[in-house]
Amino acid sequence: MTDEELKAEVTAWLAANWRGAPQRTERFGPDPRAEWLAKVRDAGWAAPRWPKEWYGRGLSDAQARIVESCFAEAKAPGTGQDRSNLWANTALAHATETFKRQIVPQLLAGEVGMCLLYSEPGAGSDLAAIRTRADKVEGGWRVTGQKVWTSGAHIADYGMLIARTDWSVPKHRGISFFFMPMRQKGVDVRPLRQITDETHFNEVFIDDAFIPEENLLGNLGGGWGVLQTALAYERSVMGDAARGARSGAKEAHGDAALLELAREAGKLSDPLVRQDVAQVIAWRMLNSLNTRRAKAELKQGTSSSIMSLGKLAMSRILHEEGRVRTELLGPESLLQGPDHPRAEDANFLSLNAYFTSIGGGTDQIQRNIIGERVLDLPREPEVDRDVAFSAVVAGR
Amino acid sequence: MTRAQRRPWERDACMTQVMTHEERTALRDSVRRLLADRCAETDVRRVMASDTGHDDALWRELAGLGVAGMLVSEDNGGSGLGPVELELVMEEFGAALSSAPMISTAMAAMLLDGARAQALAAGELIVAVAPLGVHDWTGQSDVRVAGGRAEGVARFVPDGQIADLVLLAGDDGVYAVARDAFSATSLPVFDRTRRLADLHIDGPVERICDGSRVAGALAVGLLALAGDQAGGARRVLEFTVDYARERRQFGRAIGSFQAIKHMAADLLLEAESATSAARNAAEQLAGDAADRDGALALAAFACADAYVRCAKDGVQMHGGIAFTWEHPAHLYLRRARSGAQLFGDSRHWRERFIQALEAQS
Repeated sequence: MTDEELKAEVTAWLAANWRGAPQRTERFGPDPRAEWLAKVRDAGWAAPRWPKEWYGRGLSDAQARIVESCFAEAKAPGTGQDRSNLWANTALAHATETFKRQIVPQLLAGEVGMCLLYSEPGAGSDLAAIRTRADKVEGGWRVTGQKVWTSGAHIADYGMLIARTDWSVPKHRGISFFFMPMRQKGVDVRPLRQITDETHFNEVFIDDAFIPEENLLGNLGGGWGVLQTALAYERSVMGDAARGARSGAKEAHGDAALLELAREAGKLSDPLVRQDVAQVIAWRMLNSLNTRRAKAELKQGTSSSIMSLGKLAMSRILHEEGRVRTELLGPESLLQGPDHPRAEDANFLSLNAYFTSIGGGTDQIQRNIIGERVLDLPREPEVDRDVAFSAVVAGR
Repeated sequence: MTRAQRRPWERDACMTQVMTHEERTALRDSVRRLLADRCAETDVRRVMASDTGHDDALWRELAGLGVAGMLVSEDNGGSGLGPVELELVMEEFGAALSSAPMISTAMAAMLLDGARAQALAAGELIVAVAPLGVHDWTGQSDVRVAGGRAEGVARFVPDGQIADLVLLAGDDGVYAVARDAFSATSLPVFDRTRRLADLHIDGPVERICDGSRVAGALAVGLLALAGDQAGGARRVLEFTVDYARERRQFGRAIGSFQAIKHMAADLLLEAESATSAARNAAEQLAGDAADRDGALALAAFACADAYVRCAKDGVQMHGGIAFTWEHPAHLYLRRARSGAQLFGDSRHWRERFIQALEAQS
């Protein structure tokens, strides 16, 4: 099929079918656009790079991008899931045949809600040290443990879970990856109140919950590898989205905004304030120039080390902008609530900056990654790397 | 814009985007090879110890590669290139600690025409540029031009000690001062790779163009310095990381310690940001974009600050070995510190940056 024929087909299909759909507001949970998404899936547009037997069309990346641009032009959602749908990509790559048949179509249509069950109170930066256990029983596994920092757990049908299935081997090798049904006795979801006084995350207490045999992804004990592909998808999706997770009302950050706040506060003539404001705006600009250069370099085929720097750069930007905004406001920053939106913004930013500097790998872990993967510096020796995890637990 | 006001690379429409990505890479590689061969650390130290601080043979070779005349139009025997190519070449000069008078030459190319431009491109004429009045970044120059004569001192002029010709660049015009109308006092500079001189001027001057071309010349000088700093920052980080991989203490490479590794990661962010800022400024200048003043100011302080930080922390990360004269780390630190003052310090350029933002908002 030529590019023109493809474009004509997609455009015609959209003209015949697309009538608008409700907006999605939650990233997790069942999708209100499910009816439309099912239509997109059945027509083969949801994941056009995938093979036909998996709802795709076996298109090249270039042709799939044509489909994406047609959908974007019509403002119709649902295509490009072969790049963006973390859950469906992970399932397609690693789920058992039986489970794949059941779950992949549901995931493409957003018919099931999903959440991530990775971090634990005792396994944050050292994620491979998880202690949630999955023990083999007739027809599946029994799971007991505690997970944390789970978005959307209260509306999820399944959680992508990592749990320890073998305690006699070193930590990375005894982990398995599951799709755990969330709506069952033994799964208790409790909202987690954040320092920003919001609740975007949950704690999940798991007590003897059941996972059927076919819900294991990858090999038993091969969960760490499955997790790496899932994390890679997650990072690429996060990379496309704006960093910093702000609520809609709190989105007023940016170059002009900080300058404007300084002006409003009557401090734009203070030379020290001008230096601070200039520096924060400069860091922001440098970060977007870095991103632009990285993309250009990738296009030219040179590998780029710059992409890995964005998260670290953004941590500094957000923390410093929080500090500068607070200083601009002076005593006003002591207040909060809807009557004091500027203080609300400054304080929110100052606290929510940790979302970026801790979430998804702390700045310190990020520096390790940059040091080791980009600058090729040797790894820190790990005392528990080649030790059976049961011995590590006993030693603590 | 009249023909005379245009920057050289704009005098001919076909010159604005003269080089493809591949051609630029080839140019950079040929400069890199020549500098690796002729501007190695031993050469740098030899030139540092010399009276003039200038390697004329190497400069002629660079001129042969078209580097001295890169901003001179092809009509005048130059290469007719633009800011993007200049910045790229300056990264190499900075990385190699070259003392070639490239910043002065690039600035002069913006102001000279005809036979003098030809001689500049050939590497035969060394021209120093002294910004005066509102452009005087030192605040210490007191040259007065009146009735076809100039008198006074222009301070901290790069390459003034080897200049055959001085251009006084003021708002009201640009004046050429011939060799017999000035004397140069070479300054005892802290960074021996970048020589500066006080120029004592007393004699006739020739008005060569009006003041409208001065801003362009200063922009090119600032850009060239930013490129030098970005290249230097990346190089100092590179050899520091190499050392951290090899140097062993407590039975392991020091780069495996997070105390060192985290410094390296932070420096990579600084060095890459400086590179982005310098290259962006080059593109903005080449495209004559509306926010080129902001882009230049950003590059000026981002590159200066990044280079100082990389060079400073580079010494720290090496430990004792870098406290010795024999080790090259301090040469970069000296160069970083001199660049951070030349043409105005970071405080000045942050202020100019916010002024550009205010003008836009």
